[in-house]
Amino acid sequence: MYRFMENENGEPGATSNGAQSSGKTLISMHNIWKTYQMGVEELHALRDVSFQVEKGEYLAIIGPSGSGKSTLMNLIGCLDSPTKGEYWINGNLVSDMTDDELARIRNKEIGFVFQTFNLLARATALHNVELPLIYAGMRAGERNEKAQAALASVELGDRVTHKPNELSGGQRQRVAIARALVNHPSILLADEPTGALDSKTSVEIMALFEKLHAEGNTIIVVTHEHDVAARAHRILTIRDGQIEKDEKIR
Amino acid sequence: MDFAETLKLALSAIWAHKLRSFLTLLGMIIGVTAFMVVLSILQGFNVYVDEKIAGIGSNSFTVRRFSFDDFKDTDTIAAAQRRNKELSFDELDFLREHAQLIDKIGAKSGGGPVEIKRDNESLQDVSVSGVEPVIAQIEKTDIADGRFFSETENNNSMRVVFVGMDVANKLFPQGDALGGEITIRGIPYKIIGIQTAKGTVFGQPQDSFVQLPLKTYGLAFGGLTRGRAPYFEASARSDKVFKDAVEEARTLMRIKRKLDFGEKDNFGILTPDAISGLKDSIFGTTFIVILLVPTIALVVGAIVIMNIMLVAVTERTREIGIRKSLGAREADILKQFLYESATLATIGGIIGLILAKLIGFIVTSFLLPTVIPWYAAVIAIGVCAIVGIVAGLYPAWKAARLDPIEALRAE
Ligand SMILES: Nc1ncnc2c1ncn2[C@@H]1O[C@H](COP(=O)(O)OP(=O)(O)OP(=O)(O)O)[C@@H](O)[C@H]1O
Ligand SMILES: [Mg+2]
Repeated sequence: MYRFMENENGEPGATSNGAQSSGKTLISMHNIWKTYQMGVEELHALRDVSFQVEKGEYLAIIGPSGSGKSTLMNLIGCLDSPTKGEYWINGNLVSDMTDDELARIRNKEIGFVFQTFNLLARATALHNVELPLIYAGMRAGERNEKAQAALASVELGDRVTHKPNELSGGQRQRVAIARALVNHPSILLADEPTGALDSKTSVEIMALFEKLHAEGNTIIVVTHEHDVAARAHRILTIRDGQIEKDEKIR
Repeated sequence: MDFAETLKLALSAIWAHKLRSFLTLLGMIIGVTAFMVVLSILQGFNVYVDEKIAGIGSNSFTVRRFSFDDFKDTDTIAAAQRRNKELSFDELDFLREHAQLIDKIGAKSGGGPVEIKRDNESLQDVSVSGVEPVIAQIEKTDIADGRFFSETENNNSMRVVFVGMDVANKLFPQGDALGGEITIRGIPYKIIGIQTAKGTVFGQPQDSFVQLPLKTYGLAFGGLTRGRAPYFEASARSDKVFKDAVEEARTLMRIKRKLDFGEKDNFGILTPDAISGLKDSIFGTTFIVILLVPTIALVVGAIVIMNIMLVAVTERTREIGIRKSLGAREADILKQFLYESATLATIGGIIGLILAKLIGFIVTSFLLPTVIPWYAAVIAIGVCAIVGIVAGLYPAWKAARLDPIEALRAE
């Protein structure tokens, strides 16, 4: 199994960023390009993006539609691979990893909250939350307990047997968050987590993120809502696939 | 992901598309059913023949005028007809006197179809033969009612008969066959025993026969020569000395017939081995031909399963993307779809097996006994699982290789 190693040789020097960061670099992107070949034309979704994220940071990524935010999130989440450039996660070069190692990172290190929920339609809320634990090889009893607890922590303890289509949009989003958190990942990635929600539910979700951050989790949120971004400690602004601004606000 | 987990997943995926799963399996089900029905009939026949041999006594053999080899072609038949003399009672006495390894030996004759009557009722095509009383012991005849005839009855050519259940039932519908009288060629006989019913095999009634004491038969039918020349049935002292007993009988026959060293036998000895050998040679080829059809059905079934699994993978691309985004490895996805197709095919196999068993019951009650050996059932299920795995290999591999982000983008 793949082992995470703390800052190893060859890993570029960590910069200190973010008020509550612990000083350990979790994510390190170097001259990342993501290019889609559209017929004869090349479409650069990301161009020469470089930045670092420290453990314990709360980062918001904002930018206009089509600027490359989701593309960047997918790269951070090891779901996609860059066309060019180096991506280091926890001191390891992602492009060197085997498929199984990537699967392990997605399972253990990253909790992804998708804009479109991405819940299994045929499975109950409980089973959806159990999925990461199943692939972590946890036994049924323990798994069930943890998934119940995760659902309870997003105040869905009374909805465990509901299927996604028996839940409201906000409840689905909370199931997705419970699923992202159940395996205690070191990074929580949320792509437009409040995009589909009313303002009241959005506030609840943002409060939950703040609580998680206070507990020491690293959080990266993509949003185009300014009040959501304002809760983060650092804002990365992207335009046309490039970092336009990288500012600490707290 | 462990076995039980993956299996549960497979079952729920199959259950989610009950009708489609069933239709997918039709080919498989028909294949397995046909396969098992054919097998059960052949096996039933085999068991029947084996029982028949065991009934004669697995350690018994017959000495006849001709051997199997004599029937190879017209030339050998003609040669054998010239060389091989009818068996005689002299020879029977000689064997009886000198054989050390033979337990019992007796003579039989006839067996051809004859019309028998009771008052105005008549029954066609009844196998009528003459046998010595000792034959009942050699053949281990099952007696339902009454008894077999005795040495005294044979020696005095008494008009008594031992009949099969069909003869008893058809001529004596009131059930009063024992002690009743039948006539054969105008001569009346008293029924003193009835054999336990044996049923029908391939439309051949096994219970339509009449046995007379050998001497009575000889008198009534015009002497024990020509077509009614006797043949001998003998049992060895034990299974262990069976081969030696056969050899001994052969040697004694050769001595009695004064055959020179190197000269061919001018008689035949038929052992159960020869019968089962013949059975194998008949059924070996039939078996292969008949099994070809179900095999084709299985192949078609496999292709259908592969096709439906490809559809399933396409349909569930997004699910695969989600699973991968949550940490499923390629091996996990591969296993998931392989289990699904294997489980699907196995269910088809089990349904086919159950159908075959039901059809077997029907065949058994109308035609002949059928037997599904347990190992054949196990092998059939195993073959189905393997077919499922093979059929699922390519779709599962496709699923496992999906790029997570592209899978997530699928509609
Ligand atoms: N699979 C793809 N093939 C081709 N082009 C793509 C693909 N995915 C994204 N793009 C392009 O890359 C650019 C960035 O897309 P991305 O989804 O990252 O935008 P975004 O910032 O998340 O926008 P939004 O706020 O609307 O979600 C877009 O111009 C988009 O058309
Ligand atoms: Mg987006």
